[in-house]
Amino acid sequence: MSNKVLLSLRDVQVTFDVGHKKKFVAVSDVNFDIYEGETFALVGESGSGKTTIGRAIVRINETSHGDILYDGKKINGKLSKADDVEVIRNIQMIFQDPAASLNERATIDYIVSEGLINFKLFENDEDRRAKVRKALADVGLLAEHMTRYPHEFSGGQRQRIGIARALIMEPKLVVADEPISALDVSIRAQVLNLLKELQNKKNLTYLFIAHDLSVVRFISDRIAVIHLGRIVELAETEELFKHPLHPYTKSLLSAVPLPDPIYERGKKLFKYDESVHDYSILKPGFIEVKKGHFVWANEVEADQYKKELKK
Amino acid sequence: MRNEQFTFVTLDESASEHISAPQYSYWRSVFRKFFSSKVTIVIMIVAVTVVGFSMIYPLFSDYSPVKAPNINNLDMWFNKPSLKFWFGTDDKGNSLFDAVWAGLRVSILIAAISTVITTVVGVAVGAFWGYSKKIDRLMMEVYNIISNVPFQLLVIIIMYVIGRGFWQLIFALSITSWLGTAYFIRIQVMIIRDREHNLASRCLGTPMYRMILRNILPYMISVIVTLVSRDIPAFISLEVFLSYLGIGLNQSTPSIGRMISSYNSFMINYPYLFWLPVVTLAIVTISLYVVGQALADASDPKTHM
Amino acid sequence: MEKNVILSARDIVVNFRVRSRILTAIRNVSVDLIEGETLAIVGESGSGKSVLTKTFTAMLDENGTVSQGKIFFEGRDLLTIKNNKEWEQIRGAKIATVFQDPMTSLNPIRTIGSQITEVIIKHQKKSKGEAKNMAIDLMNKVGIADAEERFDEYPFQYSGGMRQRIVIAIALACHPKILICDEPTTALDVTIQAQIIELIKSLQKDFGFTTVYITHDLGVVASVADKVAVMYAGQIVEYGTVEDIFYDSKHPYTWALLSSLPQLGIKGQFLFSIPGTPPSLYNEVKGDAFAPRNPFALKIDYEEEPPFFQISETHFAKTWLLDPRAPKTEMPEFIRNLHDKISKKVAVGGDFYVQ
Repeated sequence: MSNKVLLSLRDVQVTFDVGHKKKFVAVSDVNFDIYEGETFALVGESGSGKTTIGRAIVRINETSHGDILYDGKKINGKLSKADDVEVIRNIQMIFQDPAASLNERATIDYIVSEGLINFKLFENDEDRRAKVRKALADVGLLAEHMTRYPHEFSGGQRQRIGIARALIMEPKLVVADEPISALDVSIRAQVLNLLKELQNKKNLTYLFIAHDLSVVRFISDRIAVIHLGRIVELAETEELFKHPLHPYTKSLLSAVPLPDPIYERGKKLFKYDESVHDYSILKPGFIEVKKGHFVWANEVEADQYKKELKK
Repeated sequence: MRNEQFTFVTLDESASEHISAPQYSYWRSVFRKFFSSKVTIVIMIVAVTVVGFSMIYPLFSDYSPVKAPNINNLDMWFNKPSLKFWFGTDDKGNSLFDAVWAGLRVSILIAAISTVITTVVGVAVGAFWGYSKKIDRLMMEVYNIISNVPFQLLVIIIMYVIGRGFWQLIFALSITSWLGTAYFIRIQVMIIRDREHNLASRCLGTPMYRMILRNILPYMISVIVTLVSRDIPAFISLEVFLSYLGIGLNQSTPSIGRMISSYNSFMINYPYLFWLPVVTLAIVTISLYVVGQALADASDPKTHM
Repeated sequence: MEKNVILSARDIVVNFRVRSRILTAIRNVSVDLIEGETLAIVGESGSGKSVLTKTFTAMLDENGTVSQGKIFFEGRDLLTIKNNKEWEQIRGAKIATVFQDPMTSLNPIRTIGSQITEVIIKHQKKSKGEAKNMAIDLMNKVGIADAEERFDEYPFQYSGGMRQRIVIAIALACHPKILICDEPTTALDVTIQAQIIELIKSLQKDFGFTTVYITHDLGVVASVADKVAVMYAGQIVEYGTVEDIFYDSKHPYTWALLSSLPQLGIKGQFLFSIPGTPPSLYNEVKGDAFAPRNPFALKIDYEEEPPFFQISETHFAKTWLLDPRAPKTEMPEFIRNLHDKISKKVAVGGDFYVQ
């Protein structure tokens, strides 16, 4: 993990129109940086807005406020054609549902080549096919699969096809939107290992969007916890697990069942009560209570958290 | 059991990624599913026979509504069906058999051509309409205005304006129907537009025309076949209805509708004159509809598994 | 203390007709449910865990048949019941099921209240007024706030977690003896999952039913189970108390499942994953179904199916490794002392963890 900031989000807000002039603010006040080579995890429950952020970064969703900077350049909002191409070449996405993320009516050859075809990134047909073969081999699939259709494959294989499709573009940043949630438990480890192997080989940076904290602890360098559209805590992985500060983070960690019966017998669930926050007088912000450890809190809460850390 | 059976076996870790099932081909699966029902095959044979016959026979039968070689021979009028005249003869001494097939030929041709035009234009417009939010805003205004006018009324008005005839009728039918098809396609497109695999394609920078061609249209085949299977019988019925009212085709073109309309009055004395055209027409429309629905089902990849 | 066996399934074989082929989903399974306890059935998808519990309520898909076996419940063999009317006395009333997706378990066009009262009226012959009171009482018990007002609302007005609570309320409306929970929290957020698990546990204390919990998540198993049945390829391969399974397992498949726990993963190294895929159950399985993926496979595993070996009064495993003739094999080092390894990583201090 280097010190170079690859992706930067500043005060990002994404709003959706929901019928007659009504708007829904999906995420707001989103601030974080991703360093080159790291695995940055964005963890939240359904409706938290984590997928919205991921899609805003790859420009599927539009931002209503704030900036997204890739390598120092703004990539949200209107872009010139050349800049748009730059973004597509450098940032790619792996989707969640292997059953829905592949075009059922296209062969694997076409699916994996699609990005190449869009930008004519090959010399001739033979060259293109060679690239596809290599991309498939990188994810452990065979050349004979090129003529097959998605429904002939298992969930884990389909997810690997999705990974090949994204990585054939040779991106630097990969947004992985819950890439293993829809997979069978025994296949998850295979795909995780593959992602790790590819990260090492190709020096990739990952934004890993997930809801499964146990997996996230294993693969990520830093974690941001998002709740109802707001990032409530951000810290290095072990720091977050050992010293969670925001009560939502605590409730999230407490809720995960550990595969240890003796421990689970004695466990008491910590429930998150929103009313512990009083933001009527002192407004909250994203405060750095310790180096690298940020919490969404007002000054009063921030002081409490700092005291907690000293204990 | 011997003790040597209790020795370890080295595990071959190469997971078998190899797929042993035969290659899947969409169209081969479509036809396999289509032909899997004996009933469908029978009805399809009926449809093909009837339609084929109606195309070919009138070329040889030399029938025309304005030609009545036996009009002065009263013995030839109103003959009941017999071995000589399978459908009997009509009020002008012409073979009803010839008349019916000639009329059917015209009806089927009008329906087929109108359907082709309606479907091609409707799908093309509907695909872009559903996919592009900008085009949608414009088209919805247009649609909201036009769709309020009743379809049949519009056809009748157009026919009054441009006159009766074969191509006039095709024009009237097509121009009033393509918008409905486009709207239906638009809705289907909107349903699948935001599916993950389409988002993935957009993420990869796929331009709109290729999105429509490779991501959207292949999923519409079943829907399009359903539309066609509904349109052809509908157009046949509409042509018959208009001719029944005396608006559709001119006097020199054979028309089943006109036949049914004029033979209505003979229902008591010469019921065959009325019923034979009606029944033949029914066989054509129903068999075409059933075959169309079966084909639509077969085109839906979900039924292939 | 003599514990009562409330349901006993013996030698169950379930076949499915898929086009022209036969899929044997359950291959000779026997299991007892102990009254008042929670049995967790854990396995990969395709292991047969859902199918097994569907035989208890005759809810197999149309193309499925129980071709062999007996299920003893309340003094009779349930599989001898042929007509649906008799099954309706059992299903919902004596043995109830909670499924994974609350949206499809509930009727979207009927009010929540009517769906609960319908079950009460049907099975307990109460009047509409009595049923409504009982329903509101149930809604309170499952943690729905303002139950009286929410009685007339529709499923779409409820969140996923609340809908699942209603599904549980409907299942418990007739005080069944056995509650089958088929992955009830897989589709829910983790905080909601924790609440639902807590709810089911407390309801079990109040109502006194026996729970069967189907899941693929070993964390959930550790949280809810008294007894655990590990299933693979249509068979139970290991059965024991939850402590037996987590701390003293004997079957290589259980070892593999435990080894792939992310909590045991070491940063920077690869996670253990079981190679290959489960076998196709269209073909008859020769020997041990797990053999091709089993790093501890013996030659005999490819030839003959292992019997159950008894390890203790409550602990059984179906592996040739327990045969006296087999070479002595220990649980892999990686999964030994599981409790120490996992609790060491839990945050110390803080007011939300109890040691």
